[in-house]
Amino acid sequence: MIKIKQALFLIFGITSFIIFYIGILNYITTEDKNIGMVILVFSAIVSSGTFFATFYISNNLTKPIELLARRMSEFSKYNSIRKNGLDDKGIQELYSLNKNFKEMTRKVGDALEKEKQLNQELKEIDSKKTEFMSMISHELKTPLMPIKGYVQLLQKQEMMGQLNEKQLDAINEISISAKKLEKLIQDVLMAQKIDLGKLSVEKDIIESKILVENAYKAFVPACEENGVKLMMSVTASDKVYSDSDRIAEVFSNLICNALAFLPEKDATLEIGTKDNSNFVTFYVKDNGVGMSDDQQQNIFKKFYQVDTSSKRKKEGSGLGLAICEGIVKALGGKMWVQSKLGKGTTFYFDLPKAKIPIQQFRSVKAKNSRN
Amino acid sequence: MFTKSKTEPAKPLEVLIIDDNEQITKMISSFLDMSNHECTVVNDGKEGLELIKTNQFDSIILDLAMPEFDGYEILNTLSKEDPDQLSKVIILTASSIPIETVKKFKELGISSCLQKPVDIDQLLSKITSVAE
Repeated sequence: MIKIKQALFLIFGITSFIIFYIGILNYITTEDKNIGMVILVFSAIVSSGTFFATFYISNNLTKPIELLARRMSEFSKYNSIRKNGLDDKGIQELYSLNKNFKEMTRKVGDALEKEKQLNQELKEIDSKKTEFMSMISHELKTPLMPIKGYVQLLQKQEMMGQLNEKQLDAINEISISAKKLEKLIQDVLMAQKIDLGKLSVEKDIIESKILVENAYKAFVPACEENGVKLMMSVTASDKVYSDSDRIAEVFSNLICNALAFLPEKDATLEIGTKDNSNFVTFYVKDNGVGMSDDQQQNIFKKFYQVDTSSKRKKEGSGLGLAICEGIVKALGGKMWVQSKLGKGTTFYFDLPKAKIPIQQFRSVKAKNSRN
Repeated sequence: MFTKSKTEPAKPLEVLIIDDNEQITKMISSFLDMSNHECTVVNDGKEGLELIKTNQFDSIILDLAMPEFDGYEILNTLSKEDPDQLSKVIILTASSIPIETVKKFKELGISSCLQKPVDIDQLLSKITSVAE
């Protein structure tokens, strides 16, 4: 890299030297020594003038540029510049450049300050929101406890005495509603946790096959009850490094969701895995009503409900799929849907395969637990 | 009448319930009464701690969020003064407990951390397993 000063001195130094040299050369070669002397003196004046002009210009040119450079580096470090004065002499363009930069830093500095304040305010609001949510969750769950407890007690007829059919029916209805309310509160809290990035996961090495089998076993009774044929299709089993409880939640949400949109006759539901180099792809496939492209676009948004008129009995908060996607993302995977109206829907999610060999993983784990 | 449950021990258990919510303590205590267990109820943390110090319970159901003297303070005091009691504690809370805190509880010797609203059968099975 070369400095402006050096470049200027190099160019004008050579120029003045050439002028002076021509003057000398002319003096030596000319016959009329008087004119030669005049030209020599003239060239000496011109070359020394050029030299001094270079000195002056370079000083005036480089000083404000150096100041500008200093201010820029200062600003990038501290987001503000000290109020060191700049004389308004020198080159006008550079003076206004400096002045404008100073003005700009003031504005950017103000904006940054404002942003900082807003950020602080947002953080405060955010922490208040979290506080509020945890308070609400506490307040909502607490009264559910005696409701759920007494319902269970009343259902234990050997404890609380025999109930007649109508009473038993009423208790069962309360029980169903209480469970729905509980699930709703859990969903809202879960969505909140996902939003705040506070979803905790406990990963371990698990066989993908076992994950599917667990979901299958858990939902066979519910599917039979609803007249739905549940199938399992696992071609290969891979090890994934993931959280089995969270994955069970994802399967549960997806299967419950599918159950709500299955046809009344010949309803089938298939869960399984597909291999996919670095990931294991899990899927839940139904032969239900399906979704339009527009519905598929919005399906993972919170509180979105697919409108399927009153044909289907659909319930829930509209949070289930948003929660599924949040969980899968937290586990390092992604989730997507394939569907066609009237042709059923398949939800897929990827989970990364376990990369560390088990032996190594155990030693890592043992090391961690020692700390 | 209760012979059908295999986990039911022959000897009635002494259970202490510490929770500031009276409806919850009433529900749990009537359930435990009907299950032939002895039940002591307190709605105040400080009283609860005194009872733990002066009595021998087979199992202690402890709420965390309580006004003035809360469950965490009880756990802190016990871990300093009488850590053996901690293995009898069943935490029953409506707040969501972060995994790190659950791990800390485990390190203290508390194996049961239940979320409200709990299934009462699950609660009973925890009570009996803790008492063993």
